[in-house]
Amino acid sequence: MDISYIFVICLMALCSGGSGFSPVEGKQKSGRGRGSMWWGIAKVGEPNNITPIMYMDPAIHSTLRRKQRRLVRDNPGVLGALVKGANLAISECQHQFRNRRWNCSTRNFSRGKNLFGKIVDRGCRETSFIYAITSAAVTHSIARACSEGTIESCTCDYSHQSRSPQANHQAGSVAGVRDWEWGGCSDNIGFGFKFSREFVDTGERGRNLREKMNLHNNEAGRAHVQAEMRQECKCHGMSGSCTVKTCWMRLANFRVIGDNLKARFDGATRVQVSNSLRASNVLPGLSPNAAGSSSVGSNGLILPQSVVYGEEEERMLNDHMPDMLLENSHPNNKIHHPNMPSPNSLPQGGQRARNGRRQGRKHNRYHFQLNPHNPEHKPPGSKDLVYLEPSPSFCEKNLRHGILGTHGRQCNETSLGVDGCGLMCCGRGYRRDEVVVVERCACTFHWCCEVKCKLCRTKKVIYTCL
Amino acid sequence: MSGTILENLSGRKLSILVASLLLCQVLCFLLGGLYAPLPAGHVTVLGSLCREDHTRQNDTGFLLYSRGAGACTPVVREEVERDPMKMANELVHVFQMPLPREQRDLDYSRWQQNLIGVLQVEFGYDSSSELREPPRELQLTIDIRLAYRNKGDPANAWKLYAHGVEHRYLDCVTAHVGSTETLYSCDMIPLFELGALHHSFYLLNLRFPLDTPRQMNLQFGHMHDLTLTAIHQNGGFTQIWLLLKTVLFPFVVGIMIWFWRRVHLLQRSPALLEYMLIYLGGALTFLNLPLEYLSLAVEMPYMLLLSDIRQGIFYAMLLSFWLVFAGEHMLIQDAPNKSTIRSRYWKHLSAVVVGCISLFVFDICERGVQLRNPFYSIWTTPLGAKVAMTFIVLAGLSAAIYFLFLCYMIWKVFRNIGDKRTSLPSMSQARRLHYEEVQLLPSLIYRFKFLMLATLLCAALTVAGFIMGQMAEGQWQWNENVEIQLTSAFLTGVYGMWNIYIFALLILYAPSHKQWPTMHHSDETTQSNENIVASAGSEEIEFSHLPSDSNPSEISSLTSFTRKVAFD
Repeated sequence: MDISYIFVICLMALCSGGSGFSPVEGKQKSGRGRGSMWWGIAKVGEPNNITPIMYMDPAIHSTLRRKQRRLVRDNPGVLGALVKGANLAISECQHQFRNRRWNCSTRNFSRGKNLFGKIVDRGCRETSFIYAITSAAVTHSIARACSEGTIESCTCDYSHQSRSPQANHQAGSVAGVRDWEWGGCSDNIGFGFKFSREFVDTGERGRNLREKMNLHNNEAGRAHVQAEMRQECKCHGMSGSCTVKTCWMRLANFRVIGDNLKARFDGATRVQVSNSLRASNVLPGLSPNAAGSSSVGSNGLILPQSVVYGEEEERMLNDHMPDMLLENSHPNNKIHHPNMPSPNSLPQGGQRARNGRRQGRKHNRYHFQLNPHNPEHKPPGSKDLVYLEPSPSFCEKNLRHGILGTHGRQCNETSLGVDGCGLMCCGRGYRRDEVVVVERCACTFHWCCEVKCKLCRTKKVIYTCL
Repeated sequence: MSGTILENLSGRKLSILVASLLLCQVLCFLLGGLYAPLPAGHVTVLGSLCREDHTRQNDTGFLLYSRGAGACTPVVREEVERDPMKMANELVHVFQMPLPREQRDLDYSRWQQNLIGVLQVEFGYDSSSELREPPRELQLTIDIRLAYRNKGDPANAWKLYAHGVEHRYLDCVTAHVGSTETLYSCDMIPLFELGALHHSFYLLNLRFPLDTPRQMNLQFGHMHDLTLTAIHQNGGFTQIWLLLKTVLFPFVVGIMIWFWRRVHLLQRSPALLEYMLIYLGGALTFLNLPLEYLSLAVEMPYMLLLSDIRQGIFYAMLLSFWLVFAGEHMLIQDAPNKSTIRSRYWKHLSAVVVGCISLFVFDICERGVQLRNPFYSIWTTPLGAKVAMTFIVLAGLSAAIYFLFLCYMIWKVFRNIGDKRTSLPSMSQARRLHYEEVQLLPSLIYRFKFLMLATLLCAALTVAGFIMGQMAEGQWQWNENVEIQLTSAFLTGVYGMWNIYIFALLILYAPSHKQWPTMHHSDETTQSNENIVASAGSEEIEFSHLPSDSNPSEISSLTSFTRKVAFD
């Protein structure tokens, strides 16, 4: 019995070694993917004095990759939107996690370090949330900046609206103006999505599992922005009747998107890569044909909720090899699979895995499929967050892993949840303080120009973790 | 006395005419589908925040703008969030249209005709204050300033177009309930309607004055995003539309002149149906008149109202025509004298008149008042909305009564025709002799029915077209190369269809000048058919001496034929 078990392990190690998954294990340190350094621009300049900042500012220069620098240079005004977006992501993340042990703290940014600290090096849930929220925030903030008129290079996207024959002969921007006159411009939201893909996803080539995880979470963030878009219509035909109707898309408040992402964080899926490709494009609605034409409905823009998955049995077979690898690399992982595959089925699975990977290289980097770590779970959808390894407890300070611990955090004495003092302080106990807070209250307004308020003193009790 | 062209035209000529008209119809549809863009475009502008200059607050010429030299320094939203008072009474929401795209400052063109602005409001309450239901009918007070600037003007040369302090009622839903703040997202509110898009750039300054003694805007915690959607007619659509009008206009005018001359060549005064036809042609000509060309040079804010009135007159005329058309074929000969609108149809037409007047009053209340105050909308106050709804319900009711009545009349026409046909065999021998041509009756009835069918088809296609235009949402892919813009195609198709329909009516109901007995045709195939019609004509000449047939206004031999039977 023991001998056969060892044999199985050896065989699996052999097979998986041959199937090329070793980068996950070997490049753990740098395996976070290289697309995360740009977060640093949040701290480079305060958003209100960003406008005069040049893109060649050395601090910005060091945080951006070459392609990102080019995008910033080619799209004047986009930098301000990116800084706003990054700050939006941080404040939203901190809002959503204010009651958890990990509170989305950012470190004093310095060159070459990650803004969110070393937690990003681990492929845990928190990391997946950071990726998704930053990608969503960039999408949201670019689309907003286009609507505000602060980015001048937002596309008009008239391609589907105009077939003006004379415009085709005109060169570049002249044709753009003609087209605006002829058929108007589309919504700005499509530009936000395209830009976010270009900017946020640089450096994530989807070659290893971690990069795939990042790509998936980035896409999930954008998918949430898209899913929260609402169509609005206005009738303006004869006497205001609906013989002529115009429709457009409206972006939701980012707080709503943050709420949804937080819900997905709570139900995030632990995954491993599988071999079959995703059959459908991840964001088919973002082709210029569908992105926000004025009377075109939302149909084209809504993501397909169901992603086509590979054959069930094939997945069952292949799931276990990266799983074994993860278990090897993290000895503290206690999850074991009850059903070990029979030895003779493995070579076949490994072969299929190689085929799948070979095909995958030819395809777009968004064409991949992640399968749940626990095969009984549902495979992750396009809006689900995915992670690779369980989160640390975040209780104690651990600088090696970039964990600050919960010492000195405020907690809620009456709550039984994570924000309750019992869980938040990890059983270390807490301190009770009474403070007097002075607030403005009972304000009266006068139009114009006058606001009178009283100052109210309220006593508040604050509990702090030891 | 001769019949109409419809009765005398050979089947072959009729089919050629119908085929060519159908071809024109397809052309109209394809013109809209292949060349025109969507009928309307929009620009969605997110409000920028500027700090109020309290010293110049009451100066309506003071305008803040967010782009171009001398623009205000935008207030960042985080700054507002940090401020304990959320910068109440210190912010101006600024919207500058259109937005720059592809590194260029776009400007509105006069081809874009009109501009309609709607506003979407998001605001947040402090959750700690009190737990609230999603608010309904909250009164929002807005100080609106609309300004314009032309191409070539300096960046600060904004001129005030209109200023007003307006009230709007908001219906909101909860978007997010948080521990610190509850967010509400509200239904869009109409903000302004400009009948003339005469200038290149437009600027909107919105202020939400907070005032405790006057209870102004106190229910709104603080404003989050304000989104303005400015809808304009697409320039390409205007061009195609005007092209269509310009082409159709001379044709309809020409056929009207031809028709009227033919009527006057007869030795009688024109019949009621002929008057109706010429009125209908006149209404259509008024609709076709490409007045929009003037708006390229002159500022015409009344264009929206005028186009409503033009369409209204046309539809009123068309509806009246159908009633009179059915009535004239009712074959009831109670009044021996010539029928006029006053003598016979005033009861029938009262539904049309009531409907049209109520729609007209509604339109004057909405778009007429907008000429004076572009921010006005009758829908914004609960009372105004009720009044507007009353007028619309009244119009709807009269439309329903009208259609019921029309259906009843058409049913009666068909029943009368059927009765006459069955009563033929029981006639006296002497009369029977004159009805040897009973066989020609089916062909006349067929043509009458043919036109009824065409009318029904046109009406059904119009309704279906508008419904499809609503459902189809945008373009439809024929194959990889050909895309059909369905919304525009339906609009041009329906417009062309009514033109063609009236064009056909004017041709087919024009009096025929054919002299039956002396008629000669080179066309072999139509010979027999024409002969039958010819004998019908001769029969009619004979019967025109009958005492009952003293009505000289008869234009249809079918009508006269059946009337004679009724006399029996």
